[in-house]
Amino acid sequence: MKDIIVIDGLSKYYNGFLALDNLSLKVRENEDVALLGPNGAGKSTTLKLLCGLLYPSSGSMYINGVDVVEERERAISEVGTMLETPEFYPFFTPDETLSYLGRLRGMHGRELERRIKEVIKLVGLEKWGKVRIEKFSRGMKQRLALAQALLHDPQILILDEPSLGLDPRGMVEFREIIKKAKKKKTILFASHLLTEAAQICNKVAIIDHGKLCFYDDMSRLKKKYRSLERAYLKLTEREI
Amino acid sequence: MSEFEKLKIVTKYELLKQFRRKRFYGALALIVLAMVLTIGLYKGLDIPGRMNRLDSPELFATFVSSISTLATICAVFFAGDAIASEFERKTGYILFPNPVKRTTLVVGKYIACAAATVILLIIAYLILAGALLGFYQQVPSGILGSMAIALMLACSVISMTFVFSSVLKGGMGATIAPLLTYLVIFSIISGALSAAGYDPWFMPNRAGNAVTATYGITLGQAFGGGHMGGSMSSSNPDPTLSFFVLLGYTVIFLPISIWLAKRREMI
Repeated sequence: MKDIIVIDGLSKYYNGFLALDNLSLKVRENEDVALLGPNGAGKSTTLKLLCGLLYPSSGSMYINGVDVVEERERAISEVGTMLETPEFYPFFTPDETLSYLGRLRGMHGRELERRIKEVIKLVGLEKWGKVRIEKFSRGMKQRLALAQALLHDPQILILDEPSLGLDPRGMVEFREIIKKAKKKKTILFASHLLTEAAQICNKVAIIDHGKLCFYDDMSRLKKKYRSLERAYLKLTEREI
Repeated sequence: MSEFEKLKIVTKYELLKQFRRKRFYGALALIVLAMVLTIGLYKGLDIPGRMNRLDSPELFATFVSSISTLATICAVFFAGDAIASEFERKTGYILFPNPVKRTTLVVGKYIACAAATVILLIIAYLILAGALLGFYQQVPSGILGSMAIALMLACSVISMTFVFSSVLKGGMGATIAPLLTYLVIFSIISGALSAAGYDPWFMPNRAGNAVTATYGITLGQAFGGGHMGGSMSSSNPDPTLSFFVLLGYTVIFLPISIWLAKRREMI
C-alpha cells in the first residue's frame, strides 16, 4: 500500500507560539487514523495545514505525492473535509450549497443531481434539501457538512471533531455512515471521543504540545497500555 | 476544469448570494426612493427658478445624476463582508478546501459585487432617462459618459473595499472602514488640497464627481457652490481623466486585495 498522506517535519507557529513541533506522519492507502490529543495539542492545526488553510512555518506535506503548499488545488482534489464547527451560507438551501461545491469539484449535470440526492439521503436531510440553511440547527449543519465532504466520493476524508453538536442518535448514525464510507477511503480523523475513535479507526496518532507521542495500530496500543483511555492519559502526561 | 470555468461558477453563486440578501433590495429601494425624491424636489420646488437659472435637460440630468454616487456607496455594503465573512462566519471552512484558487474566489466575488451594483446603477439611470424623456422629450448624450464614470467609480470603490475585507476580521468593520475612508478621509484630503490651490484630480472622490461633469455643467457652477473645498473643487473635473483615475484605483487595489486574501490564514 502506498503512502497517501505524508507529513514531514511539519512545524507551525502562531505569533511566536509553537502549535506544531516537527511533526512527521505517514498515512497509507485505506488506513483510518484517529488523531487524538488534548485541547491545543495541534490536531486541528495539522488538519488545517493539510487542507491548505494555513501555511506551515517549516516542513512539508504531500497528498497522493502532491505538495500541498506548492500545488494546493491539485493536492486536495481527492480530499473531502469537515473542519471545525461548519457554517454555510444561510441564504442557500442544502441542494444549492451542494450544487455549488460539486460544480467547483468538477461535477455537473445529472451525475451531480444524483449524487446530491444520494448524500442528502445518506445524512438524513431528505426533507430539508430545499429549505434555507438559516433555519438549520447545529446538528443539521453538521450532517450537511458530512454530506459535502462525501459529495465527490473522495479518496481521502479529513474530519475534525465531526460528531460535535450531534445528538446521541445522530452520533450513532454518523458512525454508521463513516463505517460504510470508509471501506474504500483513507480517513484522518481528529476527535476527543476515544470510544468513537476506537470504533472507526484502526490506527491512532496521539499528539500533545504539537509533538507526536504515539503512532501505531489501535490493537498494538491496546495491548501495550491495556486500553485506549489509559494510553491517552499516560501519553498526554496525565496518570490515572 | 479550467479556472475560467470555476470563475463562472463562483460568480454565479456569489451573485445568487447577493440577490438572496435583504441588503440588495434595501439598496434598490433606497436608490429608487432617492431618485424619485430628487426628481420630485427639483420639479416641485422649481429649483432652477429659485436659483435664477434657466431650466434645461442638462441641468436636470446634472442635478439628478449626483444621486448615482449613492449607488456606489451601496457597493460598499455588497463588498464589505465579501471576503471578511468567510473568515468571520467560518464559511471558509467549507469553501476554501476545494480545488479552486483563492484568486478565482476573490475575482468571482468581485464580479458579483460589481454586477449587483451595476444593476442598481442601470435602474437609477433608467429612471433618470425616463424622467428626462417625460419632462424634456430628450436625453442628453452626456448621460452615457456619466453612467460610464459611475460604473468605474463603483468598480474602484469595490476594489478599495475588498482590500479592507481581505485584512479586517469582521464584515462590519470592513464595511464601515471604506465608507469612512471614502466619505470622510478622502473628502478632507481633497478639501485641503483644493484650499491650498491644488486640483485633487487624482483623488477618487474628486474623480467620482465627474458623474455630473459629462453634461457640460457642474452642480457648483449651476447652483453656486455645493461641493466642499475651494475654487478648485467647484470646477469641472475632466471626465476622461477621472475615468482613468478610477480605472487606476480599480487596477491597483484589486490585485492588492487578491494578494492579501491569498496570504490570509483560516485560523
